Amino acid sequence: MKIKQIIKKKINDDVLYNNLKNFASGYKISRQKAMEGLDFDELRKEIYKIKDRSKEDLLKLFNRFKENVESPTCKVFHAETSDEANSIIADICKAHNARYIVKSKSMTSEEIRLNDHLEKEGLRPIETDLGEWILQIGGEHPSHMVMPAIHKSRQQIAKIFEKHTSESIDPDDIEKMVKIARKYLREYFFKAEVGITGANVAIADTGTIGIVTNEGNARLTTTVPPVHIVLVGYEKLVKDFTDALKIIRLLPKSATGQVISTYVTWIKGSNPSTKSNIDVKYTYYVFLDNGRLSFFEHPFLKDALKCIRCGSCANVCPSYEMVGGHVFGDVYIGAIGSILTALIHSEKKANDILNLCIGCKACSANCPSNIDLQKIISNLNVYLKEKYPLNLLKKFTYDFELKNPLIQKQTMKVMTIVQIPFEDKHYLNLHKIPIINKAHQFRMFPSVKKNTFSASYKEKGLDKVKSKKKVFFYPGCAVEYFYPDMGLKMMEFLNKAGYQVDIPEVSVCCGLPAIHAGDGKSAKETILKNVRHMGDYLEYEAFLVLCPSCGMAIKEEYKTYLFDHIAEYKKINGIGEKVISFAQFIKEKGLTLQTDNQKIYTYHTPCHQGRGLQFDTEGFLKEILGDRFVNLKDSNVCCGFGGSFSFDFPEVSGGILAKKIENILATNADCVLTDCPGCIMQIDGGLKAKGHDIEVKHISEIF
Amino acid sequence: MDSSMLIERFIRNSSAAQAINITITADELQKTIPTLDAQFVNIEPPFDIWNVSTKITEKGIDKAIIQADLAIAETGTVVINSTSEDIRLATCLCEHLFVVIKASEILSTLEDAGDYLHENHLQNNAYTAFITGPSRTADIERVLTIGVHGPTAVTVYIVSDC
Repeated sequence: MKIKQIIKKKINDDVLYNNLKNFASGYKISRQKAMEGLDFDELRKEIYKIKDRSKEDLLKLFNRFKENVESPTCKVFHAETSDEANSIIADICKAHNARYIVKSKSMTSEEIRLNDHLEKEGLRPIETDLGEWILQIGGEHPSHMVMPAIHKSRQQIAKIFEKHTSESIDPDDIEKMVKIARKYLREYFFKAEVGITGANVAIADTGTIGIVTNEGNARLTTTVPPVHIVLVGYEKLVKDFTDALKIIRLLPKSATGQVISTYVTWIKGSNPSTKSNIDVKYTYYVFLDNGRLSFFEHPFLKDALKCIRCGSCANVCPSYEMVGGHVFGDVYIGAIGSILTALIHSEKKANDILNLCIGCKACSANCPSNIDLQKIISNLNVYLKEKYPLNLLKKFTYDFELKNPLIQKQTMKVMTIVQIPFEDKHYLNLHKIPIINKAHQFRMFPSVKKNTFSASYKEKGLDKVKSKKKVFFYPGCAVEYFYPDMGLKMMEFLNKAGYQVDIPEVSVCCGLPAIHAGDGKSAKETILKNVRHMGDYLEYEAFLVLCPSCGMAIKEEYKTYLFDHIAEYKKINGIGEKVISFAQFIKEKGLTLQTDNQKIYTYHTPCHQGRGLQFDTEGFLKEILGDRFVNLKDSNVCCGFGGSFSFDFPEVSGGILAKKIENILATNADCVLTDCPGCIMQIDGGLKAKGHDIEVKHISEIF
Repeated sequence: MDSSMLIERFIRNSSAAQAINITITADELQKTIPTLDAQFVNIEPPFDIWNVSTKITEKGIDKAIIQADLAIAETGTVVINSTSEDIRLATCLCEHLFVVIKASEILSTLEDAGDYLHENHLQNNAYTAFITGPSRTADIERVLTIGVHGPTAVTVYIVSDC
């Protein structure tokens, strides 16, 4: 099945939809509560530092671990590939005449498909984590790193249990199902000759592993059978307990929103075991390379090896929430899953998953290891698109149209004519356009305006307004072609406040669409043109944007594309420091923004405002609107737009939007404010398509 | 942080993880423990308590009473040296786990347990358990269910005058 067909199937899976939706909203609340009183940013920087090491450092840690733990009954192995790891483990099991093997949850064992291998060798591995066991007896693979069976309903699970146990089971009696699992699995803990676990940390200074669980299955797996095998990726090594405890502090909070998991078990070497013929356990550690070690020296992929496997990048991913881990991931899921798929499994598969990234940066903002996952995805996209090129239409858009402002202008001009039969006030009536797929009708789309922002700017003589107080305004494509009024309203305000506002001589796309699509070459050319058309940073107090995505691109992305252009690099560095949203400018300059109506407002936080330009617009609006402001639930969750994403995956985009609309309706506000024209396109279009007459306005339009 | 604040913080976090917390004096503890009629008791001096050992099989036991070495206020966790196989089996396979902790052994943060762990793990082998509340799962539709593989209830006795 092609990925788009699989997505359609997942979108229509009500169980998956409800489970993931409930989890996503519940998780956000518990995580926030668990983090109370902690400086998350400070703590995650520490974890980043702990995990920032070279291949050489890591091998030293490995040797130290080995020296500290090895004994005649305890061996440490290095496995270069998954095949090697599988063979080592199967050989150990056979040497101990094992038939039954109990396993506690290990994603690393999923990575090497250990169960398949052991079964081929005639062994019987039994998963003992409830979620993993459900999937094992149901013949499936996990769809989440921490909650493997999150895609299943109680009814589906009851059926799996009935088939396996031949007992009749009431799907609403979850407690009973848990009791059944307890009874069945208890027997295997005692039958098994070998217990296999993973490890969340491996401490070099003492040779100890740490395992985090809630159910207590890892404790039984490492207590009852006479043999313990640990399968662990090299990246889990840390120096000492201090480092390990820092990771343990953030791991459960990020994974499930728990302050700590019920059990954290620290195990070293061969502990007493009455079932063993030598009275102590035989213990084996298999350190898995499987490609990891090569990437410790890589300029940006090395950061992926700082992951502590909490799954938070999936928990907060709006795209994952729509399609689940069987689409958004391979063995590992979510943002880190898409990256590790490229590193460990298949570039082709990774390329498919990466396309599902909407670019909202929620993963980066929530990563407890401070990995800028979004940035890695962007970089990886550029590289993968050289191997798996964009389709012709996209290539044309980025490489020809958006890069050449005159062509873009002409195309848009043609659009103003072509759209006439489909135009309905300021919108396009999408269902009247024969070539447009029904899936795209989840929102109305704004029509291209006859006068561009730049043309109106000149027509109105705004270029003639001179003052000592000067700011530069970068309109971006959305304001230039679809929402010129947003820009003009802002100009009016700033001129009144005594500011001269200059704009670029030629309006060029900011380049973010090409960056996000992975067309690095076009992005670079677009960026270079832009930088040349921008004013000198020394001349202006601020570089204003109405679209935070453009602002974030200029501030964060441009530099990485200009390493080999010294003058432009210097210029953009200066500009970057002055890039600011309209709301932040007003706040910082102490200007008064007055609204003369009695409407009730709410605010949607655009992704690249909250997590890009990082100004607390919501707080600012509360100050000026007082009790005319109501909070929007999940305000900072993506609206589903993501530029070309909403055209590539309309079902996913529409699904994300539907949740946003549900939250907006619950506020009973008259007007949704936001400060991104892209979000307005999506939210306003979605509300209109559903027949709601709630206004959606840019902050520049409300006074 | 003074002792009463540590106790209060410990109890808050331990209760949030569904453990029952009881503050008790050493005298009261000595009187209480025999009444619990546990199948496994492992308490160290200065408490003058008769320890009980039972062979623990697949069937498990009803009650185990174990003394923890430390507790961590930040997370509501008790730290049990579980190198002995009996202690591991008892704490894994009892239905109701009772843990005794001296108030003076409650530490403030996770990192404060670092030295203790390091020291213990300098031996050739070691097994240390952090336990916070009863065994749980949310693997079926995210519904929190208590008691999967481990104890279905945990009670912590905080001995205030020790």
